[in-house]
Order: sequence, then structure tokens, then C-alpha cells
Amino acid sequence: MHPTRCLLKRSVWKGPHIVPLPIARHKASDKIVPIRTQARSATILPNFVGLKFQVHNGNVYHEVTITEEMVGHKLGEFAPTRKPFIWNRK
Amino acid sequence: MVFILGVNFGEHKLVRKALESFYALGPQTARRILAKYTIHPTAKIGSLPPKTVTALTAELSTMTIENDAKRVVRDNIARLRDMGTYRGRRHAMGLPVRGQRTRNQTESARRLNQIERRG
Repeated sequence: MHPTRCLLKRSVWKGPHIVPLPIARHKASDKIVPIRTQARSATILPNFVGLKFQVHNGNVYHEVTITEEMVGHKLGEFAPTRKPFIWNRK
Repeated sequence: MVFILGVNFGEHKLVRKALESFYALGPQTARRILAKYTIHPTAKIGSLPPKTVTALTAELSTMTIENDAKRVVRDNIARLRDMGTYRGRRHAMGLPVRGQRTRNQTESARRLNQIERRG
């Protein structure tokens, strides 16, 4: 994901990019169930803090626990999509 | 020779250039400071009265420049790194952060993108 998208800010009148995620369901059960999602472009909202997400990177789901300072970033920033280049990987 | 914020400047240096030599103090802020103390944009350091020099030093000491500004940059990068964001990771690897290509010409990134950024 290109961070430029977050740096060159979105218009204020549009508000944050809100994706309907199944968060309300989580609150009923006290055990933290990770929310599996492919919405990498979803903005992290203040009410996500403390939740666990499994963010898709195109191949697998990366587990991300949302902390307070992550608010305002996108979910995709925490799930790397590229494999580091290593010479002679079998 | 005149001292402004502990730095020695020659008599024939422009005041504007002297101000801009501080890290995190650009043309815009320099122009604003000159206007605040009613110094002409083409004035030289030597033409400043000592009172203005001390006033300038006092003004600069309240601003976040030099090491304070560098620390702000470093803290921002460290925050990104600790959060585990893509940007933080790219800084740690010394690669371009904003989606530029990495096939060739990544000199600036190699020079600057570090956790403990120097520039």
C-alpha cells in the first residue's frame, strides 16, 4: 500500500473511509475474536482500539492488534504485501 | 563576527541567509522573522545593532530548530517503526517510502531513510 495515499490527505468533507466491518458482533462475547477482513483501505477509527484484526495481504491474513496511536492509519499499512528479496531462495 | 544562537557569522553575510542556515528554518520563516524585527531583506549581519542580535537569538531559542527539529523527525520515524507500519519498515530498510520504484536511483532514500535519520 502506498503511504502517499494517507499523506496526501483525503478531502475533509468526505470524512474517513469507513468500511462496514463486523465489530458490533464482537462486543457481545467477552473473548477477543479476530476480525478477518480484506478491507485494507479501511481507516482505523477510535472505536477499533483494542480489537484484533486479521488483515489480508493478498496471500495470508496478518494479525494486527489495534493500539491507540494507529488511529487514522489504514489497516493495510500493518500487513506487508511484499516478500523481501533474498538471493538463492529455494 | 557576530554570534547568533552560538553560531559565528561573518559581517558580510546576509541576515536572511544566516537565518536560513539553521535546520528547520526556511525562506518563509526567515522572511517572517525579518519582518518581525523590521530588518530589510538585503541587510547584512554587520549592519545589525547588538540589541537586534540578542533579540534574534532570544527568538530563535524559543523555536524548534536544529537538534529539536531533528529529534521531532526521528521520533516520528521511530513511532512508525514501533507501530509496525509499512512506512516504518521502509525507513528501516533504507528504501523509498512513498511508492517510488526501487529498480535503480534510490540514492536519496539510501542516504536519508533510516531509523536514526541524520539529515
